[in-house]
Amino acid sequence: MTVSLKDLDDGQFTERYGADRFTATVLASRMRYIVQHMCTGLLNNAFSLILRDWYDFAATISGPPEQNYPMSSVSNSLAMFLGTMSEAVRNTVEEYGPENLRPGDVVICNDPYRAGNHVNDICFIRPVFAGDRLISFVTLRAHQLDMGGVVPAGFSGTKRNVYENGLVIAPTLLYRDNKPIKSAFNLIFDNARYCALLLPDIKTIYANLLLGEQLILESVERYGVEAYLGAIRYSTDVSAEAMRTALAELPDGVYEAEEGIDCDGIDDTVDYRIKVKITKSGPRMELDFSGTSPQARTSINAGILDTKTAVGVALKFLIDPATPFTSGAYRDIDIVLPAGTFISATPPDGAVFLYWESTGPVLLAVFRALEKALGRKAVGGDYGSLNIHNANGVLEDGTPWVTTAQCGGEHGPWGATEAGDADSYSVVYQANNLDPATEAIESELPAVVLRKEYTPDSGGAGTNRGGAAVLKDTLYLTAAEHWSSPLHTKSPSGLGVYGGKSGGLGATWVFHADRGDVVRRKELIGTTDEVYAEATPVAGMLNPDTKCIDPDGKYFYFASTPVWHTKPHAVFRYLTNGGGGWGDPTERDPERVKKDVRDEYVTIEGAYRDYGVVITGDPLTDPEGLQVDEAATRKRRAEMAAR
Amino acid sequence: MPREEVSQEDLHALGVDLARDFPGSTAADFRRYPVLSEGGWFIAVKHQRTLESVAREPGPLLGPIILASDGLDVN
Repeated sequence: MTVSLKDLDDGQFTERYGADRFTATVLASRMRYIVQHMCTGLLNNAFSLILRDWYDFAATISGPPEQNYPMSSVSNSLAMFLGTMSEAVRNTVEEYGPENLRPGDVVICNDPYRAGNHVNDICFIRPVFAGDRLISFVTLRAHQLDMGGVVPAGFSGTKRNVYENGLVIAPTLLYRDNKPIKSAFNLIFDNARYCALLLPDIKTIYANLLLGEQLILESVERYGVEAYLGAIRYSTDVSAEAMRTALAELPDGVYEAEEGIDCDGIDDTVDYRIKVKITKSGPRMELDFSGTSPQARTSINAGILDTKTAVGVALKFLIDPATPFTSGAYRDIDIVLPAGTFISATPPDGAVFLYWESTGPVLLAVFRALEKALGRKAVGGDYGSLNIHNANGVLEDGTPWVTTAQCGGEHGPWGATEAGDADSYSVVYQANNLDPATEAIESELPAVVLRKEYTPDSGGAGTNRGGAAVLKDTLYLTAAEHWSSPLHTKSPSGLGVYGGKSGGLGATWVFHADRGDVVRRKELIGTTDEVYAEATPVAGMLNPDTKCIDPDGKYFYFASTPVWHTKPHAVFRYLTNGGGGWGDPTERDPERVKKDVRDEYVTIEGAYRDYGVVITGDPLTDPEGLQVDEAATRKRRAEMAAR
Repeated sequence: MPREEVSQEDLHALGVDLARDFPGSTAADFRRYPVLSEGGWFIAVKHQRTLESVAREPGPLLGPIILASDGLDVN
C-alpha cells in the first residue's frame, strides 16, 4: 500500500527525497518561481506580437536522464505546451545524445512528431550542469511568428503535408559554449519570414534560459545536488498523488463518448470522429482512442503528444485542478492511441498545424464521457475553436504586415460549473493566454476592430449560465489575403451538463466593401438578421437564403475559398460558439435571469423561452426598471415542467 | 489498437502468481499493448479489469510514430 506524502515521517521523507520536508517544499516553490521568472523576462522583452500580446510560450524544468526527465515545474501559461514538453525534452535530448551535451549548450527542436505542437513552437532546451554532472534542463517553448511553409505566419488548415507546413528542425545545437552557432541560425533565417522580429526574441529566450540556469545553480549551491534532485521527484510525486486521489473518488466503470471536427481543408466530405473509451478502476484510468478517424488530408491534424496534453488538461479541469500540471499527473493514466489518426498524425502526409482544433474535441469527449459520473461536478463545454484569423498584406510604402490570432474569434466563453456562471471572454480550455489589446492591433496593423461584444441568448441556459458568444468585426484598410479557420460550427461545442443546455452555434462571414463599405457609410454593420443578406459566408450552419445561423440549415465549408483575397475596407465578422450551461435552467433564480436581461446576456424573449421567466420592461431604455412577473413565471415554469 | 493475448507462462515469467495476486482471474484477463503515460511510451502487460500493470517495459521513444528519416544510414 502506498503511504501518502503527508504520512511519511521525517526520516522516511528524508530518505526518499534526500532533503527534509521543509527543504523539498522550498525547492519545489523555488522551481515554480524560476519558470515564472523566465516567462516574465520573455513577456517583458518580446517584440513579436504572438509572444508579447498572446503569451504564446511556456517554461519548464525537467530532471536529468537518470530520472527519465521528470518535468517538475511548469509556468502558469499555455497548457497546450505543458503536456508535450516533458516528452519534448526527453525525445530531443535522447536523439541528440545526453553524452554529447556540455555546459553552455542550447538544443532546439520543433518537430511536431518528436516534440508535439506545431513547427512554429520551437523548444529551446538548456542543460544545467553542477560541475561536470548533468542535473537538469530548463526549457522555453516559444511560438515563432513564422517558420516558413506556404502560408505566411503559418496558421492554416489547408496545408497538405510537412513540406507545405514549414521548416522541421530535428534536435539541433543552437548554442555551444554560450556562443550562437551560425549555421543553426542560418537554417531558421533562410527559411522563416519576419526575421527582424525573430532574432531579438531568440536572443531574449536564450537570456532567460541563462536566468533559469543561474537561479537553479544558486539553489544547488545552497541546498546541494541531492536535495535538488529529490525536490524534482517530490514535485512530480505531489502531482501524481493528487491525481491518484482524485481518480479514486470517481466511480469505477467504463465511459464512452464521441466528438468531431467539421472537416479538413480539402473538402467537407470526410467525417472526422474521435472515439474514446475510458476505463476507470480504483486509482487508475485508461483512455483508449481506438476507432478514431484516420489522419486528415490537411493541417488540421494533431500529434500524439497533443492528445496526451488534452487528456491531462481535461482531467485537471474536472477532478484535480489544484496541483501543478507536472509530468507526475499522468502516473496512473494510460493512453492507448494508434498512430495515423487525426489526433495522432504521422509524417509526411499527416500535416500538423491547427492541432488544438482536433484535440479540443478530445477534451470535450472526456468531459462528455465523464459527465454522468461527475454529477454536480461536471463542467460545461467552451467555445470549442480558436477561429484563428491569419492575414497579410502590404502597406502603401511597400512594408509587409501580418496579423495572426488577433482578429478572428480567438477568445470566447467557457462553460458553467457548479460554482457559478461562466466567464464569456477567455481562451479555450487548453490554452491560457492573453487577449491582444485592440490598441496594439490598431497601432501596428492597417486594421480596425469595430466590434468586440457579447451576443444575447448565446450562452447555454442553466441554473448557472454558460458564457456568451463573442462577436468580433475587423475592418481591413488595405487589400489583403486571409486564411480563416473556424472548425467547430456544425454542432455545439458548449456542451450543457447536469441538465444545463448547450451554447449556441457560431459562424464567420466576410462583408466585402462593394456590398456595404463601412468607411464610406460611416456606420457599423448591424447585428440584426437582415444584415447578413450582404455577407459572404465563410463557415457555419446557415440559412442559405438569409445567411443567418440555422442549426438545421446548410453547412458552409470553411475552405471553399482556401485563401480570401479582399480589397480595402473588407470586414470579417466572427461569432464564436456559446458556452455550456450547468443545471436545470428553470431552477435559476428569476432575479438572476432579470439581471442577465439587464446586462444583455439574455433577451426578454430568451428569458421566457429558455428559463421560463417572464420579465416586463425595456432593458435598453430603462434597465433598472425591469420587473419579474412572478405569477406569470410560476405559470410558465409549470408549463415547461409538464412537457 | 490490437491487444495481444498473454499466456500463463508469460505471467509466470513476470513473477505473477494468479491465485495470490489476482484471485479468480486467468491469463485471458491480461493483455499486452503500448501505452503513453508518465515517462513516455511503455509496452505494458495489464490486468484488464483492475488496470494494474504487471510489466511495463520502455517502448520506442516516439511510440508508434515513424519519421521520414527513420532508418537513414548516413555512414
